[in-house]
Amino acid sequence: MLLSVRDLTVRFRTHDGTVHAVNGVSFDLEEGETLGLVGESGSGKSVTNLAVMRLLPQPAGHIERGTVLFEELDLTNAPEASMRDLRGREIAMIFQDPMTSLNPVLTIEEQMVETIQAHRRVTAADARVRAIQLLGMVGIAEPASRLRNYPHQFSGGMRQRVMIAIALALEPKLLIADEPTTALDVTIQAQVLELLQRLTAERGTAVILITHDLGVVAGMTGRINVMYAGYIVEAATTPELFAKPRHPYTVGLLHSIPRLDAGSDEALIPIEGVPPDLRLAPVGCPFAPRCAWRTVQCWTENPALNPVEPGGSVRTTGPEATHRIACWNPPTADEATAGAPLRPGFEPAPPPAGSPQATGPYVLPVAPGNAEVRSEEGAESAMPGSHGFPESPGSGSGR
Amino acid sequence: MSETRPGDAAPGAAVGGERLLEVSGLKVHFPITRGIVIERHVGDVRAVDGVSLALRRGETLGLVGESGCGKSTFGRAILRLYRPTAGRIVFEGQDITTLEGAALRAVRRRMQMIFQDPYASLNPRMTVGGIVGEPLDIHSIGTRSERRQRVQELFEIVGLDPAYAVRYPHEFSGGQRQRVGVARALAVNPDLIVADEPVSALDVSIQAQIVNLLERLQAQFQLTYLFIAHDLSVVRHISDRIAVMYLGRIVELAPSRELYDAPRHPYTVALISAVPIPDPAVESKRRRIILTGDVPNPAAPPPGCHFHTRCWLRERLGNPAECVEVEPQLRVVSRGHEVACHFVEQVDRSVEQIRAIGHAVNPAAGSAGTGASQDPPVPPQRPMAPAPPSPSA
Repeated sequence: MLLSVRDLTVRFRTHDGTVHAVNGVSFDLEEGETLGLVGESGSGKSVTNLAVMRLLPQPAGHIERGTVLFEELDLTNAPEASMRDLRGREIAMIFQDPMTSLNPVLTIEEQMVETIQAHRRVTAADARVRAIQLLGMVGIAEPASRLRNYPHQFSGGMRQRVMIAIALALEPKLLIADEPTTALDVTIQAQVLELLQRLTAERGTAVILITHDLGVVAGMTGRINVMYAGYIVEAATTPELFAKPRHPYTVGLLHSIPRLDAGSDEALIPIEGVPPDLRLAPVGCPFAPRCAWRTVQCWTENPALNPVEPGGSVRTTGPEATHRIACWNPPTADEATAGAPLRPGFEPAPPPAGSPQATGPYVLPVAPGNAEVRSEEGAESAMPGSHGFPESPGSGSGR
Repeated sequence: MSETRPGDAAPGAAVGGERLLEVSGLKVHFPITRGIVIERHVGDVRAVDGVSLALRRGETLGLVGESGCGKSTFGRAILRLYRPTAGRIVFEGQDITTLEGAALRAVRRRMQMIFQDPYASLNPRMTVGGIVGEPLDIHSIGTRSERRQRVQELFEIVGLDPAYAVRYPHEFSGGQRQRVGVARALAVNPDLIVADEPVSALDVSIQAQIVNLLERLQAQFQLTYLFIAHDLSVVRHISDRIAVMYLGRIVELAPSRELYDAPRHPYTVALISAVPIPDPAVESKRRRIILTGDVPNPAAPPPGCHFHTRCWLRERLGNPAECVEVEPQLRVVSRGHEVACHFVEQVDRSVEQIRAIGHAVNPAAGSAGTGASQDPPVPPQRPMAPAPPSPSA
């Protein structure tokens, strides 16, 4: 087992209260595996991995509970010196925006040589030779002369290639790629993904790919964890997740994105409402307020991540990994295909009286723990429970 | 207030036929200058470089392309937010290319815009009610109480509680803000709405809400959309026809279903192949065409066909000189399907085309009146110069 995360719980202390960013996440990763972490902004997918790397924004963010075992070493309480040694050498990370993750006032050469020399006892000249090799490997023409350039002299796609070259410079065992292609055009995205896939497969590097794009994980990963509001709500192998999605949120996501290869009569079924306010301690299932399958139980009890088919042993890794969901009332296969409950007379349970969700839409300022809110993706995450706006005109009777 | 619109045809009557907007040979060049006191003109960024398009009333025309291809500039130019360098823009029979002042303002009342970033496009110091009502103030529509009533009505139309009109933009989530942006665009009862990446800043679960809202409003108010986006899946979903732009020019224009079923321009094929499809079973059957390099600098576009520097087909055909020397014009390959490529016949049913879309070309879509090559739709490959396995390998 390369990486084993157990009950990871991350909180941010902010002026507006505690943000419950990650709420008891557990997952495993074998060497050479590719795992997709899928979720919207605020789902905790990036924070989970920042916690693994112990790179949470300080002093707001802290790991409240849980263990992160990387090759038997618990990263949650490892000394900072060994963490520094580990980052880059054993676990490397690629971020969404290559412009902000490269230092604009240093040449590519300085940044690459620095990385290599920080972990390997080599002369600057040798490190430079290695840097040229790496740039050539990621497909940058005339690597020797491009090495003297600054990040702004590269295009977005090329900067991301440079980031990949730096990340793979030390042959890490695990590569965490956080939305590596979100800022790129689609043809450039294809270039970068192809490169990433080829290089990591050649080296047997394990990959955690964090993305909101179900299309990207479909072709890039072997297993997927779907995250919502700081929980893993569905875990399955990639073929299984797309063929038989069983959590209402996954089903909703698959029905709310248009497919390029769909028929012309494809109707989108949006997920109503907005993600929950992470400042409120979770009560019940976090997805209940937006869920079309919710029952009375969903409002009060949070379901654990359990196998879809009860009984038998649970495998957490590999192509035979057990399909697990956290849901009290999962959609049937037919309902998953239709995208809506088909049971005669079934109505989503209304919120119980007196619960915070029952007080109706109330909108508060965006503020808390927006350390990871990106302007591109919107700040839906930070919005409190203002779900349930009338969709059809005139249905509101407020006037 | 909907009856105040002048020259309003009977609702739904003209859908499909009448041309609402006609653009011919539109060019928008931005000058590049050097020097502070004496600005020397040293070149031009050719953002839009000769685009001709027509929008029929009631349709949605999708405009796709990568960043820097000129799609947003085109959208803004037809609203006259930029002054065209050359070409003509005709809106309902009226040439608006050089309109100024009151005449321009009158036309702008008929065409509105929805912007990408719902954070930057709403004035943070105005209440959302004030934002939605501002177009009514600008165009002096109705009395104050009528305007207030219209704002309430607009809030309900876009699915917001009218009681929120007194709140400020920062109190809303991204999806709700985009609804405010939509309500503002609707306020003056426009005919044409230019939507520039209206959902790309939103989370996936929210995107569908806005897309469905736009579709509903179109049916309700007979709107015509120019829908600009880089996400081909969203564009294909909402559009009747799609224009693909590359470096300031339109390279392919087709009914949206057909664009996916039978793409004919090498760039469109590559673009489609690059879009990931959320289905591993389909993904395993597709093969990406990995284009080399980046989009060239629009200040110095390559001669001839702008795409020739990255074209997979040109390489296969042994780099014909035509691609570099002659600018390909849009030509009709089937009903409503136009392509600007000298070698368009080589694309149809090529290995690349089939691998990009993941299944054999739909014969019905491809044969809609070409008449050219109607051998039965059997072989997945057309005989061709000894095909290298695939540029994607």
